[in-house]
Amino acid sequence: MLAIDIMSASIIYVASFAILLMGYLAAISSKDVIRLLISLELMFGAVFMALIPLFSIALLANTAFGIAIITIFTSSGELLVLIAAIVTLDRQKKDIHTSAITIGGDRV
Amino acid sequence: MIIEMVLLSALAGVAVLFALGVLLSKDNFYSSLFMSAALIFVASVYALFDLQPVFVLIVFIFVGAIGIVTVALAATYRSDPERQFSRLWALPVVITAFVIGFSIYSYNLLNPNVPSSVIEFELINFIPITEPITEYLVLILSLMSLVVLLLLSVLKMGVGGTEN
Repeated sequence: MLAIDIMSASIIYVASFAILLMGYLAAISSKDVIRLLISLELMFGAVFMALIPLFSIALLANTAFGIAIITIFTSSGELLVLIAAIVTLDRQKKDIHTSAITIGGDRV
Repeated sequence: MIIEMVLLSALAGVAVLFALGVLLSKDNFYSSLFMSAALIFVASVYALFDLQPVFVLIVFIFVGAIGIVTVALAATYRSDPERQFSRLWALPVVITAFVIGFSIYSYNLLNPNVPSSVIEFELINFIPITEPITEYLVLILSLMSLVVLLLLSVLKMGVGGTEN
């Protein structure tokens, strides 16, 4: 069983930050909702990776496992809702570009 | 220990490279494939630390279900995406990366006497057999309510889509 030290935690956090950054950049550079979905999944992958050092604390190991389960199922549910929203958007607008979404957010 | 460190670096590096492939690929289909591969390598890091339950959850549920649906969706709506990325974002990204890198580097310089905390992983008694399983029941109940809420919202969206 591999133990974690500061160097391992640093590698994990740097890789997690890099993956999260790629997800952000892909999200802000996309104009269709499929790419938005892909970038969101990538961001959730970065979150999963950032959870790993939590398991190194003996008192938090069970809590970390619970957090991981809740995170995985919650993110899967959110992405399923987004997939359903994409299909609904296509059926209503016949278009999957984000520019087709004109309603939403606060009006100031 | 060195071999494990090299292996961890290799897995994390390959995951980052696949994430870079998601960003650079112009085709959504290949982007979704790269995304699935990156998530599998993230799960492999869990397997490296002997956390197989989380590895199974990520690979079978997140990649196996959601990732494959995304790949199918990307293959269905396959088209070259248009980009709206501004190069001005590069400046705050570089500054943030520098600050994080310098903080990690300076931690070892400023705290030379801090021992590297080597703590073994423990993943036991999450589902106690003899004791009352209250926490486990609460977790299952919350997940079931979450699934019901999500299905209700999906049903509402589907009904709204057919009416319009």
